[in-house]
Amino acid sequence: MTGRTIVITSGKGGVGKTTATANIGTGLAMRGHKVIVIDTDIGLRNLDVIMGLENRIVYDLVNVIEGKCKMNQAMIRDKHDYELYLIPAAQTRDKNSIEPEQLRDLCAELEKEFDYVLIDCPAGIEQGFKNAIAAAQEAIIVTTPEVSAIRDADRVIGLLESSGLHRPRLIINRISPEMVKRGDMMDQKDVENLLAVEVIGLVPADENTVVAANRGIPVVHDRKSASGGAFLRIAARVDGEDIPLMDLEPKSGIFSKFRGLVGMNGRAYSHA
Amino acid sequence: MLKTGVVQVAAKGTDVAFVIDEEAPFDVVAGELREYLAKQNGLWSKGNITVNVGQRMLARDELTQVKSIIETHSGLKVTRFWCSPESLGTGDFQIEAKAATVESSANTSGAQRQPPAHNEIAVPESLPDLPADSISAVESVIQDLRSRQNKNGARSRNRTEALFIKSTFRSGESVHHPGDVVVLADVNPGAEIAADGDIVVLGSLKGWAHAGASGDTKAVIIALELPSTRFQIAKYEGISPTTARRKSKSSASGPKIAYVRSRSIHVAPFVGRFARYSKGVPYDG
Ligand SMILES: Nc1ncnc2c1ncn2[C@@H]1O[C@H](COP(=O)(O)OP(=O)(O)O)[C@@H](O)[C@H]1O
Ligand SMILES: [Mg+2]
Repeated sequence: MTGRTIVITSGKGGVGKTTATANIGTGLAMRGHKVIVIDTDIGLRNLDVIMGLENRIVYDLVNVIEGKCKMNQAMIRDKHDYELYLIPAAQTRDKNSIEPEQLRDLCAELEKEFDYVLIDCPAGIEQGFKNAIAAAQEAIIVTTPEVSAIRDADRVIGLLESSGLHRPRLIINRISPEMVKRGDMMDQKDVENLLAVEVIGLVPADENTVVAANRGIPVVHDRKSASGGAFLRIAARVDGEDIPLMDLEPKSGIFSKFRGLVGMNGRAYSHA
Repeated sequence: MLKTGVVQVAAKGTDVAFVIDEEAPFDVVAGELREYLAKQNGLWSKGNITVNVGQRMLARDELTQVKSIIETHSGLKVTRFWCSPESLGTGDFQIEAKAATVESSANTSGAQRQPPAHNEIAVPESLPDLPADSISAVESVIQDLRSRQNKNGARSRNRTEALFIKSTFRSGESVHHPGDVVVLADVNPGAEIAADGDIVVLGSLKGWAHAGASGDTKAVIIALELPSTRFQIAKYEGISPTTARRKSKSSASGPKIAYVRSRSIHVAPFVGRFARYSKGVPYDG
């Protein structure tokens, strides 16, 4: 078995990388896959908190890489009845404690055992980012519809491409359909046009996400919530299912219906 | 576009451009021109003619003949000859240095003559019956061009091969190329392109662009969309106030060209090779 290693990254902090990692990981596990999520945000770990696994941490990523423990000793199994595991970040070390090659070797090892290895990437484009992307074959970019986040996403896409991670896919998180409608927020089309990458998901701003994070139960467990449903569909698309993008407009016009029909394959991007 | 074997004719508005095959022998060219014009007799009633002779610089009597054939058969005035810059350097005809004043007929006020583009030869309108004078005017322009070319040596089309950038040029990416740069996608905010030659963006130019980066003020920037005004040509930065006003008023999108005239950058809709920008100075690619 060879699994896929996917890095979830953004450039800017606070846009929803950790939230997306927890939810896509859980979503893939709910679909019956064996999944491991790795928190590489060393010194600022919080994937464990969002997944409600904070209390079970004994060993962490740096311990594994330094050979202080075996790989499976640092894996924490999810509370729910899925094949979902977490390797937490070290909280008391810094980003220079690991080398890109070490993480690459670890992920290569994990790919033998898991269907999906998801890497939660720290913000920025320095060492932590370089570590996180070195191990991945695919990338998912998270942005919000804000100029600063989009600018950082653009920068990161360029860096990914120059290190051989082509065709990253994009999640636009925290979209407020009302604000878009009022013209106070960039719409999905503008973001998509500027970044010129495939959009794999649109996630509305949803307080359920925050409530779920505080409870340590990723929102994707609540399939009926707006953001839970969105993350479940993203997990399905990552898994290769062809689900058209749902329109987040409060009321859908002719154009958005058309977009719905065209779906994610409606645009051809050139990456010559 | 009408076409014969060796002569291509393109008309835009009242302006007509003849493009003459670079390699065909002159008598064939003359024959085809006559034949073509006889067929088209009376098609044009007014306007100016530009003749593009490409790589070949015709001998002076040939130039005169082309001019008179076209003028007698079409009733129009030939106001410009074009040739490629290479042929300025070759061409074995002698230049008689005569102090002839050349006035671009496109600029009929004549008061402030625009300097001719590097390979553009304006023919004075007032001398239809005196081909010799007309030619000497042509030659003085050529000489002028030659001396300018020798001075800065900049305007050689074969500087370097063009650089093609084939995917979105993104924030944080930058390039400096010693020739022309063509981007087959958008240039995003935060990206930087510097080219010693022209910059052509087949997409939206939102980042920083610097054409003629080593000082060539003839360099241009062309983009399918030009929402940004943050660019530079040679040492000129920012666009002229008149253009800025026009630009903000008309939300007109579409292809744009930015070029330097009178020591500031102007932006105009890009409508093609024979378009006139800023009082009759055409862009020649
Ligand atoms: N779709 C959403 N709606 C509302 N809040 C969100 C959404 N996505 C993320 N958040 C909140 O935004 C904050 C930052 O998210 P996080 O995933 O930690 O970002 P990152 O890992 O990129 O720094 C968290 O408090 C999270 O609960
Ligand atoms: Mg995070």
